[in-house]
Amino acid sequence: MIAAPPILAQLLRERRRPLATWALALAGVCGMYTSLYPYMAGANLDAMLEALPKGLVEALGYDQIGTAAGYVGSATYGLVALALLLVFAIGRGAAILAGHEESGALELELTSPASRAAIYDQRLAALWLEVVLLVAAVYAVTLAFDLGQELGISIADLSIATLQLALVIGLFGSLALVAGAATGRKGIALGVAAAVAVVSWMFNAIGPTLDLEWMARISPIGWYMADNPVTRGFHPVDALLLVSASALLIALGRRRFLRRDLMT
Amino acid sequence: MAARAIEIQGLVKDYGAFRALHGVDLAVERGEAFGFIGPNGAGKSTTIRCLLDLLRPTAGVVEVLGVRDLAAHPELRARIGYLPGELTMPGQQTGRELLRYFASLRGGAGLDRIEPLADRFGLALDRPVRGLSKGNKQKIGVIAAFMHAPELLILDEPTSGLDPLLQQELLALARESTAAGATLFISSHILSEVEAVAARVAILRAGRVVEVAEVRALRERAGQHVLLRFAAPLDDEAARALAEAPGLSEVTIEGDELRGLLRGPPDRLLKMAARHEVLRWSAVDRNLEELFLDHYRQPSAAGDEGAG
Repeated sequence: MIAAPPILAQLLRERRRPLATWALALAGVCGMYTSLYPYMAGANLDAMLEALPKGLVEALGYDQIGTAAGYVGSATYGLVALALLLVFAIGRGAAILAGHEESGALELELTSPASRAAIYDQRLAALWLEVVLLVAAVYAVTLAFDLGQELGISIADLSIATLQLALVIGLFGSLALVAGAATGRKGIALGVAAAVAVVSWMFNAIGPTLDLEWMARISPIGWYMADNPVTRGFHPVDALLLVSASALLIALGRRRFLRRDLMT
Repeated sequence: MAARAIEIQGLVKDYGAFRALHGVDLAVERGEAFGFIGPNGAGKSTTIRCLLDLLRPTAGVVEVLGVRDLAAHPELRARIGYLPGELTMPGQQTGRELLRYFASLRGGAGLDRIEPLADRFGLALDRPVRGLSKGNKQKIGVIAAFMHAPELLILDEPTSGLDPLLQQELLALARESTAAGATLFISSHILSEVEAVAARVAILRAGRVVEVAEVRALRERAGQHVLLRFAAPLDDEAARALAEAPGLSEVTIEGDELRGLLRGPPDRLLKMAARHEVLRWSAVDRNLEELFLDHYRQPSAAGDEGAG
Protein backbone atom coordinates (compact mmCIF):
# COMPACT_ATOMS: atom_id res chain seq x y z
CA MET A 1 0.00 0.00 0.00
CA ILE A 2 1.16 3.51 -0.79
CA ALA A 3 1.21 5.78 2.25
CA ALA A 4 -0.40 9.20 2.32
CA PRO A 5 2.46 11.70 2.08
CA PRO A 6 3.88 11.68 -1.50
CA ILE A 7 1.15 13.62 -3.31
CA LEU A 8 0.81 16.19 -0.54
CA ALA A 9 4.57 16.55 -0.30
CA GLN A 10 4.82 17.06 -4.05
CA LEU A 11 2.05 19.68 -4.04
CA LEU A 12 3.66 21.69 -1.28
CA ARG A 13 7.06 21.45 -2.94
CA GLU A 14 5.84 22.79 -6.26
CA ARG A 15 3.76 25.51 -4.57
CA ARG A 16 6.48 27.13 -2.47
CA ARG A 17 7.01 30.13 -4.71
CA PRO A 18 3.42 31.04 -5.61
CA LEU A 19 2.43 30.61 -1.97
CA ALA A 20 5.18 32.90 -0.78
CA THR A 21 4.10 35.50 -3.34
CA TRP A 22 0.49 35.28 -2.21
CA ALA A 23 1.43 35.48 1.46
CA LEU A 24 3.59 38.56 0.88
CA ALA A 25 0.95 40.28 -1.24
CA LEU A 26 -1.81 39.56 1.29
CA ALA A 27 0.33 40.69 4.19
CA GLY A 28 1.29 43.84 2.30
CA VAL A 29 -2.28 44.83 1.40
CA CYS A 30 -3.69 43.98 4.84
CA GLY A 31 -0.78 45.72 6.56
CA MET A 32 -1.35 48.81 4.47
CA TYR A 33 -5.04 48.94 5.31
CA THR A 34 -4.45 48.37 9.01
CA SER A 35 -1.66 50.92 9.16
CA LEU A 36 -4.03 53.54 7.74
CA TYR A 37 -6.36 53.31 10.71
CA PRO A 38 -4.69 55.87 13.01
CA TYR A 39 -4.82 58.45 10.21
CA MET A 40 -8.43 57.66 9.36
CA ALA A 41 -9.42 57.83 12.99
CA GLY A 42 -7.78 61.23 13.25
CA ALA A 43 -9.46 62.53 10.10
CA ASN A 44 -12.95 62.76 11.55
CA LEU A 45 -14.23 59.51 10.19
CA ASP A 46 -17.67 60.02 11.65
CA ALA A 47 -18.28 63.12 9.60
CA MET A 48 -17.23 61.26 6.48
CA LEU A 49 -19.59 58.38 7.21
CA GLU A 50 -22.51 60.70 7.94
CA ALA A 51 -22.16 62.06 4.45
CA LEU A 52 -22.92 58.59 3.03
CA PRO A 53 -26.41 57.06 2.90
CA LYS A 54 -27.06 54.99 6.02
CA GLY A 55 -28.06 51.87 4.07
CA LEU A 56 -24.85 51.92 2.08
CA VAL A 57 -22.75 52.32 5.20
CA GLU A 58 -24.46 49.30 6.76
CA ALA A 59 -24.21 47.22 3.62
CA LEU A 60 -20.49 47.90 3.48
CA GLY A 61 -20.17 47.12 7.18
CA TYR A 62 -18.72 50.55 7.76
CA ASP A 63 -21.06 51.44 10.63
CA GLN A 64 -18.49 50.22 13.15
CA ILE A 65 -15.55 51.74 11.44
CA GLY A 66 -14.95 54.20 14.26
CA THR A 67 -13.09 51.68 16.45
CA ALA A 68 -9.91 49.85 15.54
CA ALA A 69 -11.60 46.46 15.87
CA GLY A 70 -14.55 47.66 13.82
CA TYR A 71 -12.22 49.13 11.21
CA VAL A 72 -10.09 46.00 10.85
CA GLY A 73 -13.25 43.90 10.80
CA SER A 74 -14.76 46.01 8.01
CA ALA A 75 -11.76 46.92 5.92
CA THR A 76 -9.45 43.89 6.09
CA TYR A 77 -11.19 40.85 7.60
CA GLY A 78 -14.55 41.83 6.14
CA LEU A 79 -13.45 43.13 2.76
CA VAL A 80 -9.92 43.11 1.37
CA ALA A 81 -8.53 39.97 2.98
CA LEU A 82 -11.85 38.17 2.54
CA ALA A 83 -12.10 39.05 -1.15
CA LEU A 84 -8.49 38.22 -1.95
CA LEU A 85 -8.59 34.96 -0.03
CA LEU A 86 -11.84 33.95 -1.73
CA VAL A 87 -10.25 34.60 -5.11
CA PHE A 88 -7.24 32.53 -4.11
CA ALA A 89 -9.15 29.62 -2.59
CA ILE A 90 -11.71 29.34 -5.36
CA GLY A 91 -9.05 29.53 -8.05
CA ARG A 92 -6.84 27.05 -6.27
CA GLY A 93 -9.70 24.70 -5.39
CA ALA A 94 -10.75 24.59 -9.04
CA ALA A 95 -7.19 24.07 -10.29
CA ILE A 96 -5.84 21.58 -7.79
CA LEU A 97 -7.98 18.68 -8.99
CA ALA A 98 -10.23 19.51 -11.95
CA GLY A 99 -7.74 21.90 -13.52
CA HIS A 100 -5.00 19.31 -13.57
CA GLU A 101 -7.37 16.57 -14.62
CA GLU A 102 -8.64 18.65 -17.52
CA SER A 103 -5.17 19.68 -18.68
CA GLY A 104 -3.98 16.07 -18.50
CA ALA A 105 -1.28 16.88 -15.95
CA LEU A 106 -2.92 14.47 -13.51
CA GLU A 107 -2.81 11.49 -15.87
CA LEU A 108 0.36 9.86 -14.57
CA GLU A 109 -0.74 10.36 -10.97
CA LEU A 110 -4.18 8.89 -11.63
CA THR A 111 -2.62 5.88 -13.35
CA SER A 112 -0.05 5.38 -10.59
CA PRO A 113 -0.73 2.98 -7.71
CA ALA A 114 -2.09 5.92 -5.70
CA SER A 115 -5.78 5.36 -5.04
CA ARG A 116 -8.37 7.89 -6.09
CA ALA A 117 -9.18 8.40 -2.43
CA ALA A 118 -5.55 9.23 -1.64
CA ILE A 119 -5.38 11.66 -4.55
CA TYR A 120 -8.59 13.40 -3.48
CA ASP A 121 -7.70 13.51 0.21
CA GLN A 122 -4.17 14.75 -0.26
CA ARG A 123 -5.13 17.40 -2.78
CA LEU A 124 -7.86 18.57 -0.43
CA ALA A 125 -5.40 18.62 2.46
CA ALA A 126 -2.96 20.66 0.37
CA LEU A 127 -5.70 23.19 -0.40
CA TRP A 128 -6.59 23.58 3.29
CA LEU A 129 -2.93 23.90 4.25
CA GLU A 130 -2.45 26.66 1.71
CA VAL A 131 -5.57 28.42 3.01
CA VAL A 132 -4.39 28.15 6.61
CA LEU A 133 -0.98 29.49 5.66
CA LEU A 134 -2.38 32.56 3.91
CA VAL A 135 -4.93 33.25 6.64
CA ALA A 136 -2.06 33.02 9.11
CA ALA A 137 -0.21 35.68 7.09
CA VAL A 138 -3.21 38.01 7.39
CA TYR A 139 -3.44 37.27 11.10
CA ALA A 140 0.28 37.83 11.68
CA VAL A 141 0.42 41.21 10.00
CA THR A 142 -2.80 42.43 11.64
CA LEU A 143 -1.63 41.28 15.04
CA ALA A 144 1.71 42.97 14.50
CA PHE A 145 0.04 46.33 13.83
CA ASP A 146 -2.42 45.80 16.68
CA LEU A 147 0.43 45.32 19.13
CA GLY A 148 2.92 47.67 17.50
CA GLN A 149 0.59 50.64 17.13
CA GLU A 150 -1.42 49.78 20.24
CA LEU A 151 -4.71 49.71 18.37
CA GLY A 152 -6.33 47.90 21.27
CA ILE A 153 -8.02 45.15 19.25
CA SER A 154 -8.75 42.19 21.53
CA ILE A 155 -6.37 39.38 20.64
CA ALA A 156 -9.06 36.87 21.51
CA ASP A 157 -11.53 38.51 19.12
CA LEU A 158 -8.93 38.72 16.37
CA SER A 159 -7.93 35.09 16.85
CA ILE A 160 -11.53 33.92 16.72
CA ALA A 161 -12.16 36.02 13.61
CA THR A 162 -9.07 34.42 12.07
CA LEU A 163 -10.29 30.93 12.85
CA GLN A 164 -13.67 31.67 11.29
CA LEU A 165 -11.97 33.30 8.30
CA ALA A 166 -10.00 30.11 7.73
CA LEU A 167 -13.24 28.11 7.98
CA VAL A 168 -15.16 30.21 5.45
CA ILE A 169 -12.23 30.42 3.01
CA GLY A 170 -11.70 26.69 3.38
CA LEU A 171 -15.39 26.16 2.70
CA PHE A 172 -15.35 28.07 -0.58
CA GLY A 173 -12.07 26.48 -1.63
CA SER A 174 -13.59 23.09 -0.85
CA LEU A 175 -16.71 23.97 -2.81
CA ALA A 176 -14.57 24.72 -5.88
CA LEU A 177 -12.54 21.53 -5.40
CA VAL A 178 -15.67 19.45 -4.89
CA ALA A 179 -17.47 20.91 -7.91
CA GLY A 180 -14.34 20.09 -9.90
CA ALA A 181 -14.03 16.62 -8.40
CA ALA A 182 -17.62 15.89 -9.33
CA THR A 183 -17.43 17.18 -12.91
CA GLY A 184 -13.78 17.18 -13.93
CA ARG A 185 -14.29 20.66 -15.33
CA LYS A 186 -12.34 23.62 -14.00
CA GLY A 187 -14.72 26.13 -15.54
CA ILE A 188 -17.71 24.62 -13.77
CA ALA A 189 -15.78 24.51 -10.50
CA LEU A 190 -14.84 28.18 -10.78
CA GLY A 191 -18.32 29.24 -11.87
CA VAL A 192 -20.20 27.39 -9.16
CA ALA A 193 -17.94 28.49 -6.32
CA ALA A 194 -17.69 32.10 -7.50
CA ALA A 195 -21.46 32.35 -7.97
CA VAL A 196 -22.18 30.95 -4.51
CA ALA A 197 -19.60 33.31 -2.99
CA VAL A 198 -21.06 36.40 -4.66
CA VAL A 199 -24.63 35.49 -3.74
CA SER A 200 -23.57 34.70 -0.16
CA TRP A 201 -21.84 38.00 0.16
CA MET A 202 -24.84 39.88 -1.25
CA PHE A 203 -27.28 38.04 1.00
CA ASN A 204 -25.24 38.93 4.05
CA ALA A 205 -24.82 42.55 2.97
CA ILE A 206 -28.32 43.44 1.85
CA GLY A 207 -30.41 41.07 3.98
CA PRO A 208 -30.20 43.19 7.14
CA THR A 209 -30.87 46.42 5.27
CA LEU A 210 -34.07 44.88 3.82
CA ASP A 211 -35.06 43.45 7.21
CA LEU A 212 -34.86 39.98 5.68
CA GLU A 213 -32.82 38.26 8.37
CA TRP A 214 -33.03 34.82 6.73
CA MET A 215 -30.81 36.01 3.90
CA ALA A 216 -27.85 36.47 6.21
CA ARG A 217 -28.77 33.32 8.13
CA ILE A 218 -28.38 31.06 5.09
CA SER A 219 -25.25 32.80 3.84
CA PRO A 220 -21.84 31.24 4.61
CA ILE A 221 -20.40 34.76 4.50
CA GLY A 222 -23.02 35.63 7.12
CA TRP A 223 -21.92 32.66 9.23
CA TYR A 224 -18.44 34.06 9.08
CA MET A 225 -18.97 37.72 9.78
CA ALA A 226 -22.60 38.81 10.11
CA ASP A 227 -22.05 42.58 10.45
CA ASN A 228 -18.40 42.47 11.55
CA PRO A 229 -16.13 39.43 11.87
CA VAL A 230 -13.82 40.93 14.49
CA THR A 231 -16.24 42.57 16.90
CA ARG A 232 -18.84 39.80 16.87
CA GLY A 233 -16.76 37.30 18.85
CA PHE A 234 -17.23 33.54 18.82
CA HIS A 235 -20.46 32.10 17.46
CA PRO A 236 -20.37 28.34 17.97
CA VAL A 237 -23.44 27.69 15.84
CA ASP A 238 -22.05 29.63 12.88
CA ALA A 239 -18.64 27.98 13.23
CA LEU A 240 -20.37 24.61 13.33
CA LEU A 241 -22.37 25.49 10.21
CA LEU A 242 -19.16 26.38 8.38
CA VAL A 243 -17.47 23.15 9.43
CA SER A 244 -20.52 21.00 8.66
CA ALA A 245 -21.03 22.55 5.23
CA SER A 246 -17.40 21.81 4.34
CA ALA A 247 -17.61 18.26 5.69
CA LEU A 248 -20.81 17.55 3.77
CA LEU A 249 -19.45 18.93 0.51
CA ILE A 250 -16.16 17.09 0.92
CA ALA A 251 -17.94 13.79 1.54
CA LEU A 252 -20.20 14.25 -1.50
CA GLY A 253 -17.30 15.23 -3.75
CA ARG A 254 -15.23 12.29 -2.59
CA ARG A 255 -18.06 9.86 -3.23
CA ARG A 256 -18.50 11.17 -6.76
CA PHE A 257 -14.77 11.29 -7.52
CA LEU A 258 -14.35 7.64 -6.53
CA ARG A 259 -17.14 6.56 -8.86
CA ARG A 260 -17.02 8.61 -12.02
CA ASP A 261 -15.01 8.36 -15.23
CA LEU A 262 -11.81 10.39 -15.10
CA MET A 263 -10.06 12.35 -17.83
CA THR A 264 -12.99 12.27 -20.23
CA MET B 1 -1.56 -21.24 -14.04
CA ALA B 2 -0.76 -17.57 -14.37
CA ALA B 3 -3.61 -15.38 -15.51
CA ARG B 4 -3.40 -13.58 -18.80
CA ALA B 5 -1.85 -10.13 -18.93
CA ILE B 6 -5.05 -8.67 -20.30
CA GLU B 7 -8.44 -10.31 -20.66
CA ILE B 8 -11.37 -8.26 -21.90
CA GLN B 9 -14.79 -9.73 -22.51
CA GLY B 10 -17.76 -7.87 -23.96
CA LEU B 11 -16.48 -4.47 -22.92
CA VAL B 12 -19.07 -1.80 -23.55
CA LYS B 13 -18.44 1.85 -22.79
CA ASP B 14 -20.98 4.63 -23.17
CA TYR B 15 -20.33 8.32 -22.89
CA GLY B 16 -23.81 9.54 -22.20
CA ALA B 17 -25.82 8.55 -25.26
CA PHE B 18 -22.74 7.82 -27.35
CA ARG B 19 -21.51 4.23 -27.37
CA ALA B 20 -17.72 4.26 -27.79
CA LEU B 21 -17.14 0.53 -27.32
CA HIS B 22 -19.64 -2.04 -28.57
CA GLY B 23 -18.40 -5.15 -26.81
CA VAL B 24 -14.66 -5.50 -27.13
CA ASP B 25 -13.14 -8.96 -26.68
CA LEU B 26 -9.41 -9.26 -26.29
CA ALA B 27 -6.90 -11.63 -24.73
CA VAL B 28 -3.22 -10.84 -24.36
CA GLU B 29 -0.96 -13.57 -23.02
CA ARG B 30 1.84 -13.01 -20.53
CA GLY B 31 5.12 -12.09 -22.17
CA GLU B 32 3.48 -11.30 -25.48
CA ALA B 33 4.08 -8.19 -27.58
CA PHE B 34 0.64 -7.22 -28.76
CA GLY B 35 -0.38 -4.44 -31.12
CA PHE B 36 -3.72 -2.66 -30.82
CA ILE B 37 -4.48 -1.09 -34.15
CA GLY B 38 -7.30 1.05 -35.35
CA PRO B 39 -8.12 4.38 -36.95
CA ASN B 40 -8.42 7.45 -34.77
CA GLY B 41 -11.70 7.40 -32.88
CA ALA B 42 -12.05 3.62 -33.03
CA GLY B 43 -11.86 3.36 -29.23
CA LYS B 44 -8.23 2.42 -28.59
CA SER B 45 -7.67 5.01 -25.89
CA THR B 46 -11.07 4.31 -24.37
CA THR B 47 -10.18 0.64 -24.05
CA ILE B 48 -6.77 1.46 -22.57
CA ARG B 49 -8.35 3.85 -20.06
CA CYS B 50 -10.62 1.06 -18.92
CA LEU B 51 -7.52 -1.08 -18.27
CA LEU B 52 -6.15 1.68 -16.03
CA ASP B 53 -9.41 2.29 -14.18
CA LEU B 54 -9.65 5.86 -15.46
CA LEU B 55 -12.90 4.82 -17.09
CA ARG B 56 -15.44 2.45 -15.60
CA PRO B 57 -16.96 -0.04 -18.04
CA THR B 58 -20.65 0.25 -18.82
CA ALA B 59 -20.73 -3.52 -19.22
CA GLY B 60 -18.31 -6.37 -19.63
CA VAL B 61 -15.31 -7.80 -17.84
CA VAL B 62 -11.84 -6.31 -17.71
CA GLU B 63 -9.10 -8.34 -16.11
CA VAL B 64 -5.52 -7.10 -15.85
CA LEU B 65 -2.72 -9.37 -14.55
CA GLY B 66 -5.35 -11.53 -12.93
CA VAL B 67 -7.17 -8.69 -11.17
CA ARG B 68 -10.81 -8.10 -12.01
CA ASP B 69 -12.00 -5.45 -9.59
CA LEU B 70 -9.68 -2.70 -10.80
CA ALA B 71 -11.37 0.00 -8.72
CA ALA B 72 -10.65 -1.90 -5.53
CA HIS B 73 -7.01 -2.57 -6.40
CA PRO B 74 -5.15 0.61 -7.31
CA GLU B 75 -1.92 -1.06 -6.14
CA LEU B 76 -2.16 -3.24 -9.25
CA ARG B 77 -0.96 -0.22 -11.22
CA ALA B 78 2.48 -0.54 -9.59
CA ARG B 79 2.92 -3.50 -11.95
CA ILE B 80 1.92 -1.48 -15.01
CA GLY B 81 3.89 1.09 -16.99
CA TYR B 82 1.65 3.43 -18.93
CA LEU B 83 2.66 5.94 -21.58
CA PRO B 84 -0.29 8.16 -22.55
CA GLY B 85 -0.75 9.29 -26.12
CA GLU B 86 -0.83 12.95 -25.25
CA LEU B 87 1.16 13.82 -22.22
CA THR B 88 0.81 17.05 -20.29
CA MET B 89 3.21 17.73 -17.47
CA PRO B 90 3.11 20.19 -14.63
CA GLY B 91 5.66 22.85 -15.50
CA GLN B 92 7.75 24.37 -12.75
CA GLN B 93 9.68 21.30 -11.73
CA THR B 94 12.67 19.71 -13.38
CA GLY B 95 12.47 16.35 -15.10
CA ARG B 96 14.40 14.78 -12.25
CA GLU B 97 12.00 16.11 -9.60
CA LEU B 98 9.01 14.95 -11.59
CA LEU B 99 10.43 11.46 -12.19
CA ARG B 100 11.38 11.15 -8.53
CA TYR B 101 7.81 12.06 -7.72
CA PHE B 102 6.42 9.35 -10.00
CA ALA B 103 8.81 6.90 -8.34
CA SER B 104 7.61 7.98 -4.90
CA LEU B 105 4.04 7.17 -5.96
CA ARG B 106 5.28 3.62 -6.52
CA GLY B 107 7.05 3.43 -3.20
CA GLY B 108 10.38 4.42 -4.77
CA ALA B 109 10.47 1.70 -7.42
CA GLY B 110 12.66 2.68 -10.35
CA LEU B 111 14.52 5.57 -8.68
CA ASP B 112 17.85 4.02 -9.64
CA ARG B 113 16.92 3.79 -13.31
CA ILE B 114 16.11 7.47 -13.82
CA GLU B 115 19.71 8.48 -14.57
CA PRO B 116 20.63 5.61 -16.90
CA LEU B 117 17.40 5.97 -18.87
CA ALA B 118 17.82 9.75 -19.11
CA ASP B 119 21.35 9.18 -20.42
CA ARG B 120 20.11 6.68 -22.92
CA PHE B 121 17.48 9.06 -24.30
CA GLY B 122 19.66 12.15 -24.01
CA LEU B 123 17.32 13.94 -21.62
CA ALA B 124 18.62 16.84 -19.52
CA LEU B 125 17.12 16.10 -16.11
CA ASP B 126 17.93 19.47 -14.54
CA ARG B 127 15.84 21.67 -16.78
CA PRO B 128 12.33 22.76 -15.84
CA VAL B 129 9.73 20.69 -17.67
CA ARG B 130 7.99 23.86 -18.82
CA GLY B 131 10.85 24.77 -21.16
CA LEU B 132 11.23 21.32 -22.71
CA SER B 133 10.26 20.48 -26.26
CA LYS B 134 7.42 18.08 -26.92
CA GLY B 135 9.91 15.32 -27.69
CA ASN B 136 11.74 15.86 -24.42
CA LYS B 137 8.52 15.82 -22.43
CA GLN B 138 7.69 12.57 -24.16
CA LYS B 139 11.04 11.21 -23.00
CA ILE B 140 10.04 11.91 -19.41
CA GLY B 141 6.85 9.98 -20.05
CA VAL B 142 8.82 7.08 -21.54
CA ILE B 143 11.15 6.95 -18.52
CA ALA B 144 8.18 7.14 -16.14
CA ALA B 145 6.58 4.20 -17.94
CA PHE B 146 9.68 1.98 -18.03
CA MET B 147 11.75 2.84 -14.96
CA HIS B 148 10.10 0.46 -12.52
CA ALA B 149 10.46 -2.49 -14.90
CA PRO B 150 6.71 -3.20 -14.95
CA GLU B 151 5.19 -6.56 -15.81
CA LEU B 152 2.81 -4.94 -18.26
CA LEU B 153 3.66 -2.01 -20.51
CA ILE B 154 0.74 -0.12 -21.99
CA LEU B 155 1.88 2.33 -24.63
CA ASP B 156 -0.84 4.46 -26.22
CA GLU B 157 0.28 5.78 -29.61
CA PRO B 158 3.82 5.97 -28.24
CA THR B 159 5.62 7.09 -31.35
CA SER B 160 3.50 10.12 -32.17
CA GLY B 161 5.51 13.26 -31.58
CA LEU B 162 8.83 11.43 -31.37
CA ASP B 163 11.56 11.94 -33.90
CA PRO B 164 12.52 8.76 -35.81
CA LEU B 165 15.70 8.18 -33.80
CA LEU B 166 13.78 8.34 -30.57
CA GLN B 167 11.07 6.07 -31.97
CA GLN B 168 13.72 3.46 -32.66
CA GLU B 169 15.15 3.81 -29.17
CA LEU B 170 11.73 3.50 -27.60
CA LEU B 171 10.90 0.41 -29.61
CA ALA B 172 14.30 -1.06 -28.73
CA LEU B 173 13.54 -0.45 -25.06
CA ALA B 174 10.17 -2.11 -25.52
CA ARG B 175 11.80 -5.14 -27.13
CA GLU B 176 14.29 -5.41 -24.27
CA SER B 177 11.43 -5.35 -21.81
CA THR B 178 9.57 -8.14 -23.55
CA ALA B 179 12.80 -10.12 -23.82
CA ALA B 180 13.03 -9.78 -20.02
CA GLY B 181 9.52 -11.21 -19.70
CA ALA B 182 7.29 -8.15 -19.68
CA THR B 183 4.06 -8.01 -21.66
CA LEU B 184 3.77 -5.21 -24.20
CA PHE B 185 0.46 -3.71 -25.25
CA ILE B 186 1.03 -1.03 -27.83
CA SER B 187 -1.61 0.92 -29.70
CA SER B 188 -1.29 2.79 -32.96
CA HIS B 189 -3.27 3.88 -35.96
CA ILE B 190 -0.35 2.82 -38.15
CA LEU B 191 0.43 -0.87 -38.50
CA SER B 192 4.04 -0.28 -39.53
CA GLU B 193 4.69 1.45 -36.20
CA VAL B 194 3.91 -1.63 -34.19
CA GLU B 195 4.91 -4.43 -36.54
CA ALA B 196 8.54 -3.91 -35.59
CA VAL B 197 7.78 -5.06 -32.03
CA ALA B 198 4.42 -6.82 -32.03
CA ALA B 199 3.90 -10.37 -33.18
CA ARG B 200 0.12 -10.25 -32.96
CA VAL B 201 -2.31 -7.43 -33.42
CA ALA B 202 -5.97 -6.81 -32.82
CA ILE B 203 -7.74 -4.46 -35.17
CA LEU B 204 -10.32 -2.22 -33.60
CA ARG B 205 -12.89 -0.48 -35.68
CA ALA B 206 -15.86 1.56 -34.50
CA GLY B 207 -15.69 0.12 -31.00
CA ARG B 208 -15.27 -3.54 -31.94
CA VAL B 209 -12.35 -5.87 -32.40
CA VAL B 210 -12.84 -6.93 -36.00
CA GLU B 211 -9.77 -9.07 -36.27
CA VAL B 212 -6.94 -10.62 -34.30
CA ALA B 213 -4.06 -11.82 -36.43
CA GLU B 214 -0.35 -12.44 -36.72
CA VAL B 215 1.33 -9.33 -38.04
CA ARG B 216 2.97 -11.30 -40.83
CA ALA B 217 -0.30 -12.71 -42.07
CA LEU B 218 -1.94 -9.33 -41.89
CA ARG B 219 0.85 -7.68 -43.80
CA GLU B 220 0.66 -10.33 -46.50
CA ARG B 221 -3.04 -9.88 -46.83
CA ALA B 222 -2.75 -6.11 -46.84
CA GLY B 223 -0.41 -6.28 -49.79
CA GLN B 224 1.66 -3.65 -51.49
CA HIS B 225 1.03 -1.09 -54.17
CA VAL B 226 3.48 -1.97 -56.90
CA LEU B 227 4.59 0.04 -59.87
CA LEU B 228 6.70 -1.09 -62.79
CA ARG B 229 7.87 1.14 -65.63
CA PHE B 230 9.40 -0.42 -68.66
CA ALA B 231 11.70 0.92 -71.32
CA ALA B 232 9.05 0.37 -73.96
CA PRO B 233 5.25 0.03 -73.94
CA LEU B 234 4.14 -3.54 -73.32
CA ASP B 235 2.53 -5.45 -76.12
CA ASP B 236 -0.84 -7.09 -75.46
CA GLU B 237 0.52 -10.54 -74.82
CA ALA B 238 3.17 -9.40 -72.34
CA ALA B 239 0.61 -7.17 -70.63
CA ARG B 240 -1.85 -10.02 -70.25
CA ALA B 241 0.83 -12.33 -68.86
CA LEU B 242 1.96 -9.78 -66.29
CA ALA B 243 -1.59 -8.94 -65.28
CA GLU B 244 -2.10 -12.58 -64.40
CA ALA B 245 1.01 -12.80 -62.21
CA PRO B 246 0.28 -14.69 -58.97
CA GLY B 247 -0.93 -12.44 -56.15
CA LEU B 248 -1.45 -9.42 -58.36
CA SER B 249 -4.83 -7.71 -58.55
CA GLU B 250 -6.38 -4.37 -59.42
CA VAL B 251 -3.99 -4.15 -62.34
CA THR B 252 -3.89 -1.15 -64.64
CA ILE B 253 -1.50 -0.98 -67.57
CA GLU B 254 -1.03 2.28 -69.42
CA GLY B 255 1.61 2.21 -72.11
CA ASP B 256 4.92 1.49 -70.42
CA GLU B 257 3.57 1.52 -66.88
CA LEU B 258 1.99 -1.19 -64.75
CA ARG B 259 0.29 -0.58 -61.43
CA GLY B 260 -1.37 -3.09 -59.18
CA LEU B 261 -1.92 -4.49 -55.75
CA LEU B 262 0.37 -7.36 -54.82
CA ARG B 263 -0.38 -9.82 -52.06
CA GLY B 264 2.18 -12.42 -51.10
CA PRO B 265 5.80 -12.66 -52.25
CA PRO B 266 6.84 -10.56 -55.27
CA ASP B 267 9.11 -13.27 -56.65
CA ARG B 268 7.02 -14.41 -59.63
CA LEU B 269 6.05 -10.91 -60.69
CA LEU B 270 9.66 -9.71 -60.61
CA LYS B 271 10.91 -12.65 -62.63
CA MET B 272 8.24 -12.12 -65.25
CA ALA B 273 8.96 -8.39 -65.38
CA ALA B 274 12.66 -9.02 -65.73
CA ARG B 275 12.05 -10.40 -69.21
CA HIS B 276 11.55 -6.79 -70.22
CA GLU B 277 13.78 -3.84 -69.52
CA VAL B 278 12.61 -2.31 -66.19
CA LEU B 279 13.32 1.39 -65.64
CA ARG B 280 11.55 1.86 -62.35
CA TRP B 281 10.20 -0.38 -59.62
CA SER B 282 8.41 0.56 -56.43
CA ALA B 283 6.47 -1.37 -53.83
CA VAL B 284 4.72 0.54 -51.05
CA ASP B 285 3.07 -1.25 -48.15
CA ARG B 286 -0.58 -0.41 -48.07
CA ASN B 287 -1.44 1.67 -45.09
CA LEU B 288 -3.85 0.36 -42.56
CA GLU B 289 -6.63 2.72 -43.47
CA GLU B 290 -6.91 0.86 -46.76
CA LEU B 291 -6.98 -2.39 -44.88
CA PHE B 292 -9.86 -1.05 -42.84
CA LEU B 293 -11.65 -0.31 -46.08
CA ASP B 294 -11.41 -4.03 -46.83
CA HIS B 295 -13.17 -4.63 -43.56
CA TYR B 296 -15.89 -2.14 -44.42
CA ARG B 297 -16.49 -4.03 -47.61
CA GLN B 298 -16.86 -7.33 -45.82
CA PRO B 299 -20.51 -8.35 -45.53
CA SER B 300 -20.01 -9.55 -41.92
CA ALA B 301 -19.24 -6.02 -40.83
CA ALA B 302 -21.94 -4.38 -42.91
CA GLY B 303 -24.97 -5.06 -40.75
CA ASP B 304 -23.90 -3.31 -37.59
CA GLU B 305 -22.91 0.19 -38.69
CA GLY B 306 -25.06 3.02 -37.45
CA ALA B 307 -23.29 4.62 -34.50
CA GLY B 308 -20.09 5.24 -36.48
